[in-house]
Amino acid sequence: MLALQLLVNGLVTGCALGVVAISFGLIYATTKLFHVAHAGVYTLSGYLAWSLVGHGVPAIGAMVVAMAAAALLGGLIQGVLYAELERRRATHLVVLIASLGTLAVMQNIIAAVYTPNILQFPLPWSSRMVSLGAVRLTWTQILTVVLCLSAFAGIMWFSHRTILGKQIRAVASNPFLAEITRLRPQRIYVTVVAIGSAVVALPGILVPLDLGLQPYSGITPLLTATIAMIAGGIGSIGGSFLVAVGIAVLQNMSLLIMPGEWSIGVTFGIFIIFMLFRPTGLFKGR
Amino acid sequence: MIRIVVALLVVCLGSAARADDTVTFGAILPLTGPGGLIGTQQKLGIQFAMDRINAAGGVRGHKIAVIFEDNQAKPDQSILSFNKLVDLQHLPMIFTSFSGPSLAMAPLATRKHILLINAGAQADALAKASPYLLNTLPTLGDEAGILTHWLAKSGKTKAAILFENSAAGISGRDNYITTYTAAGGTVVAQEPSQFGQTDFRPALLKLADSHPDVMMVSITAAVQQMAQQFAQLGVKFQVAGTTFFQDPALIADPAAEGFVHTQLQSKVAPELAAEFKTNYHAEMEFFVRQYYTASNILFVALDKVLAEGKPVTGENLRDAILTIKKFDGLVPVVFNSNTATVPFDIRIIHDKQDQLLEEMK
Amino acid sequence: MDFLYSYIALAEIYVLLGLSTNLLVGIAGIFTVSQAAVFGVGAYIVAYCLMHDVMGFVPALLVAAAICVVLNVLVTLPSLRVSGDYFVVTSFGIQLLATAVFVNWTAGTGGANGLPGIPSPDVFGYQLESSHQLVLLTTVGSALGCLAFWLIMRAPFGRLLRAIREDELAVAAAGKGVLRAKVSAAALAGAFAGSAGGIYATFLSFVDPSSFDLDASILLLTMVVVGGARTLAGSVIGPFLLLALPQVLSLIDIPTSIAASARQLIYGVLLIAFMLFRPQGLAGEKL
Repeated sequence: MLALQLLVNGLVTGCALGVVAISFGLIYATTKLFHVAHAGVYTLSGYLAWSLVGHGVPAIGAMVVAMAAAALLGGLIQGVLYAELERRRATHLVVLIASLGTLAVMQNIIAAVYTPNILQFPLPWSSRMVSLGAVRLTWTQILTVVLCLSAFAGIMWFSHRTILGKQIRAVASNPFLAEITRLRPQRIYVTVVAIGSAVVALPGILVPLDLGLQPYSGITPLLTATIAMIAGGIGSIGGSFLVAVGIAVLQNMSLLIMPGEWSIGVTFGIFIIFMLFRPTGLFKGR
Repeated sequence: MIRIVVALLVVCLGSAARADDTVTFGAILPLTGPGGLIGTQQKLGIQFAMDRINAAGGVRGHKIAVIFEDNQAKPDQSILSFNKLVDLQHLPMIFTSFSGPSLAMAPLATRKHILLINAGAQADALAKASPYLLNTLPTLGDEAGILTHWLAKSGKTKAAILFENSAAGISGRDNYITTYTAAGGTVVAQEPSQFGQTDFRPALLKLADSHPDVMMVSITAAVQQMAQQFAQLGVKFQVAGTTFFQDPALIADPAAEGFVHTQLQSKVAPELAAEFKTNYHAEMEFFVRQYYTASNILFVALDKVLAEGKPVTGENLRDAILTIKKFDGLVPVVFNSNTATVPFDIRIIHDKQDQLLEEMK
Repeated sequence: MDFLYSYIALAEIYVLLGLSTNLLVGIAGIFTVSQAAVFGVGAYIVAYCLMHDVMGFVPALLVAAAICVVLNVLVTLPSLRVSGDYFVVTSFGIQLLATAVFVNWTAGTGGANGLPGIPSPDVFGYQLESSHQLVLLTTVGSALGCLAFWLIMRAPFGRLLRAIREDELAVAAAGKGVLRAKVSAAALAGAFAGSAGGIYATFLSFVDPSSFDLDASILLLTMVVVGGARTLAGSVIGPFLLLALPQVLSLIDIPTSIAASARQLIYGVLLIAFMLFRPQGLAGEKL
């Protein structure tokens, strides 16, 4: 019984984490940049939605607006900051540190505007319960699963079936070749980061709807998602998503056999061993 | 390059000396980072007390000023801040919180005779860290003892413990285990939550599976989220905690119905809470009250030192506090040693009200 | 002048750590974000030895350095198998695993409570207690580190390391031992980080996991990049500057409740500006 409950809980958490992983993977596979500020976009989108809901905007509207704002913000970071760094021929380490700086700026703007207090969405329906056999879920959790799975399917469809998606994959696999064929990688980069940011806004809103908002809380999910992306195989959307779900389930289920203090340590321990023996990921990207 | 930076520092800090009739104290708190949630509340408490006393004309004509330093709850930043405040500003007294930074500063306080007042951290090691470290809050032992004794007495003899994996949370857990076992109870399960995280579900699921009579909670933040996730389990056992349960958001949440907790006997007049709310647009939460109380203790001690015509030093302030011994502010505090004792009540959250269940001595 | 002394002592400890990071990231091209973990191990070992009277400060420091040599070689081993961004993420994993051990292995590290009351260091019979005595210790320590770094950079070994970073394949093709060079660099970096940790523990007389977490690793990396990667001067300037920055920023008078976040925000802006306009750092070579 406990195993089932932990499993379901892991699956719910994993779906949200999976979307963070694919959004980061989309950006990383294309731009090859370690976009840590993605954690800031994730956090900020939640706060924006909270503000909108507080001003009487219906939940759906707030979500759409916050996703659009996240896309704009992500596009700006790529189009202004990263593009400029690229023009100056900055190495990945330099971009990583600039990205960390951007994250610090965003987190502290949030902390200054909204205070570091944990904020709760004023939506009573979000914590209402549904019983499914021995498992009880809140509406937010059900919504998380439904929306995140749809986002996953949507991204799969988008990247394999649409022209833009194919262009993105072309740039990702060979930016030089793509440039010759007039695909203009820089422009594709902005589009990709914008799309990735809009997608990450989804868990960025749903997770705080469930657990509350905090300004400095984005980095842990991002790091875990990054690990899922690498272990799942860079460029493999399905792989990243599955590994993310796997990690969340493992962190939950590990409680069956050991105290929770060690669940994070064990996850990362397994990951390190894994990197030593199968560094290209479980599902090799194409 | 280095010399220039250092010289600049010294010049700038030196010139920031205050006017003569102002008495300046320091406060080294985590104002940013994951500890910022608690640190900013503590800062507001000090600020509120300072604003009120200054509005009332200060202490014997002396205005009070407090210099706030952000240590991000890191011990090495705290050492730098301590030396800065003491060396360059010559402050006699510094507010501190969080056990790590307080423990790191304690040896320096002893060496330099600087009074440290901690009104937030409750780790056991703080009681004996330095003769110059005064804790206005008892270490968790007292409070946990009252709670566990009461629980065991009311027939709840099988307990599960939810604790935050931080210094404060672990001290709480350890004290629960010791005192509860001594009172005849058995701890059947314990699970941690990560500091700064609000997802308690895996831990709660596992604890519920041990079918305890009561779940004892030792977390310092996100109690409301914990309660909501507990309610989701749909189980019926008792939830018990400490003063951290006196969070307005928690009490107003139907998920917290029936939670019992120990609480400092604090009397916050409604006018005071209202005044705080108009000034700072926030509730007067636990850490606000704690540091408000601590500040007022300091002001009383300062008044005594000034009345006796002594210089305002860390030593004199400390002696004044230990001589006066009893302070009657929001919380009646008694200093029989470095660590104060305070009276506790057992309260229950019922109908969105925090009601008195039993008064303890 | 204790403020000045404590600032210099801390900065010098970070200089040792900066050298360690610079050796790996700047010189050998092994991009690690887990140097704070090795630093922590050094600190805990010395703390344990002194608190339990196992041995004196100097032997304890040597033991810590030796263990950290082995440890650092082990944690950089994955870099031989995976390269570039893969190793960065592996290194993140190592750092998080180390933090989990520091926080949860209560018997060895005191857990989240930390270890209070670490005795002051004794060097050949002298007990170093006040901050001006400790500053002597850190100065000697960091000077030795700088000297070693300088000598290595001028030796054939230093040139080999640089060549590896520029073109690993060419070096291997030329018949030079790439593996041996990388392992030696990691070993040396471990010795630096371990001794820095040992000195840090006795200087602070208190250690807890918050000094050795991911933030600390990132701060360290930032110090090296802002100071200037690949050069000795960079590894010295970076720590002094970044430790002074919060102190200087606290002089800016922002009299509201947002002061602290505003200062952290300025810190972020400075980082971005640096990376945009002077990515080689103050005294470094282009990365």
